[in-house]
Amino acid sequence: MQITAPISTPAEVEPLVRAGARELYCGVVPPDWIQRFNTSGVNRRLFGNLNGYADLERVVEKASALDAEVFLVLNAQQYGEQHLDALTEIAARFRSIGGKAAIVADLSLIASLAANVPELDIHVSSVATCRNVESARFFASLGAKRIVLPRDVTVAEISAIATALPDLNIEAFVLNDGCVFEEGTCHTVHLPMNKGGPICIDNYQFQYEATGGGKPQERALRRLEQNDLDYKRWLWYRFGNGFSLAPNGYPWGPCGICAMPAMHAAGVHSVKIAGREGASERKIKSVELVAQVLRRIEAGEAEHEIREFAAGLRDAPAHCASGYMCYYPEMRSRATDLEATPAAA
Amino acid sequence: MTHAQTVPKASGPIELGFALVDERELAAFARHDRLTREDYLDRLGDARDCVHLPDDAEPTHFFLGSEFCEHLLPSTDAIDRAVALCERWGLIFGLVTPIACDGLFDPLRAALARLPGGSEVTVNDWGVARLVQREFPDLRPVAGRLLGKMLKDPRLPSATWARMYPNGLRAGPFRDILDGLGIGRLELDFPPFGAADMYAGIDFPVGVRAPYGYVAKGRICKLGSLSVDTPKKFSPGHKCRRECLGFSEVGARPGTNELHTTQRGNTMYYRHAKGMAHAVAEAVAKGWVSRIVLSGA
Repeated sequence: MQITAPISTPAEVEPLVRAGARELYCGVVPPDWIQRFNTSGVNRRLFGNLNGYADLERVVEKASALDAEVFLVLNAQQYGEQHLDALTEIAARFRSIGGKAAIVADLSLIASLAANVPELDIHVSSVATCRNVESARFFASLGAKRIVLPRDVTVAEISAIATALPDLNIEAFVLNDGCVFEEGTCHTVHLPMNKGGPICIDNYQFQYEATGGGKPQERALRRLEQNDLDYKRWLWYRFGNGFSLAPNGYPWGPCGICAMPAMHAAGVHSVKIAGREGASERKIKSVELVAQVLRRIEAGEAEHEIREFAAGLRDAPAHCASGYMCYYPEMRSRATDLEATPAAA
Repeated sequence: MTHAQTVPKASGPIELGFALVDERELAAFARHDRLTREDYLDRLGDARDCVHLPDDAEPTHFFLGSEFCEHLLPSTDAIDRAVALCERWGLIFGLVTPIACDGLFDPLRAALARLPGGSEVTVNDWGVARLVQREFPDLRPVAGRLLGKMLKDPRLPSATWARMYPNGLRAGPFRDILDGLGIGRLELDFPPFGAADMYAGIDFPVGVRAPYGYVAKGRICKLGSLSVDTPKKFSPGHKCRRECLGFSEVGARPGTNELHTTQRGNTMYYRHAKGMAHAVAEAVAKGWVSRIVLSGA
């Protein structure tokens, strides 16, 4: 199983690879793109891109020297038809300097790359919301080599897809950044914070209405309000525990490291660390965190021991116990079940 | 309704559908021997003021099911009742389907097997589209609005922002892929800062959902966690008691004057403003839109 890590500057390549990443992904906004289309929207993150083609070449060169692969994100949810040729040119240029794959969500771009840059692998972005076997087969029929599954899938669903399609590489999220809505069905932009920021944490003030009009009954309202409080707590976890770090420098935020043994057993090819826009130190600590767990899996350590180790890595097991910090919260009950069996004891 | 009288008339009567999510509401429809446009508009309540229909628009289609949630697939019993009602009303039935996890495929097969040949299936998942094409070739798949990607943020400060990510609905590969899946129709929303000509030049017959556009949908559902024990809330894969059919959330951002916004279950919606309704009416009049599907939030 590989660790796939984000980068936004060539200086991050070496420390991330040394920390254990063998796959790196990055974005770039060519200067002529902005002139031509009057937008910097080449991928899903306006910030966190490399600073032009020269940096992209440096990244590929450094990564190749360290035996790591580089993937380019071209993962906007949709592109206009006027963009397709330019995007295909960017992808071809990336391939010509040694890039391995493009991470793509838009169907037309997938088809265009498969036809025009066949040597470049296509990784279907989580933004494509592929979360069933038939959908994965569909993307494979378009030329995909890998599916990056969206965030909110269960380990059983991951396992079913990986098992049914052994020739397709499956990548699953393991750390950082939690979308509230599904990326592929969220048609908003992350506005500047003074204009509202991401819509899922914007200052909406909702009032409950019963279907057909009117306020819900008092008892129902009390339950709804308690549920809202729970939801706010979950949102805090979803957004990196208030965008904070553990005292030992490891990042807080959505996490699936205790699911890694199960994903490894299912044949998952890669685990993804999100956060191209994050600080370099956060990325490096993220890879270190995941690599520690991966080493134990590769050493054949028992699953329950690895999960216990994973839950203790940031020295605040209460956050794990809350269940709200998990990409795969069902692993909590699995841990409880295993602990209850004599074999696990 | 004044604007509908001022725009030129389309070449033929527009198709008019109503989309129902909650199968329990079938009972109210069942009282009608036939359905009229007023019956459809009445179901929208206050939101009927946000729709402009040509005078000759009368029901042609009736849809059941959810685009947004795998927990809201109608029961086979409800599908049978809806199909029988459509036969009585002389309407074409359509089953609406969501993005699916693998666990939904067997229930989907059972649901699709109840449909008479020629029924429509609104697909919002490429895997479901493949399923319909391979196993139910007598059905007519329609690409739902989750597959017609476009920017629809109701908070956008200006049209400049709205142009940041143009849609790819006219791209040749997109058309070819829909063709390859046997999809012959596209259903879309009308976005904030849109114009009537956003539907022009699309190679498929276009239907528009009105008067609500959807902004974003999650798999995680706040309301659907209401009855779930605390540590297991806000996660995929748990059972749902369909609380979204009993409650919705009406929202506003203090200090702003944007589109009326609602959250229902896992999905956020905006309601069309008057100008948006006018633009949809214009697109209908010019023949760029051949169907309106009325639905609530």
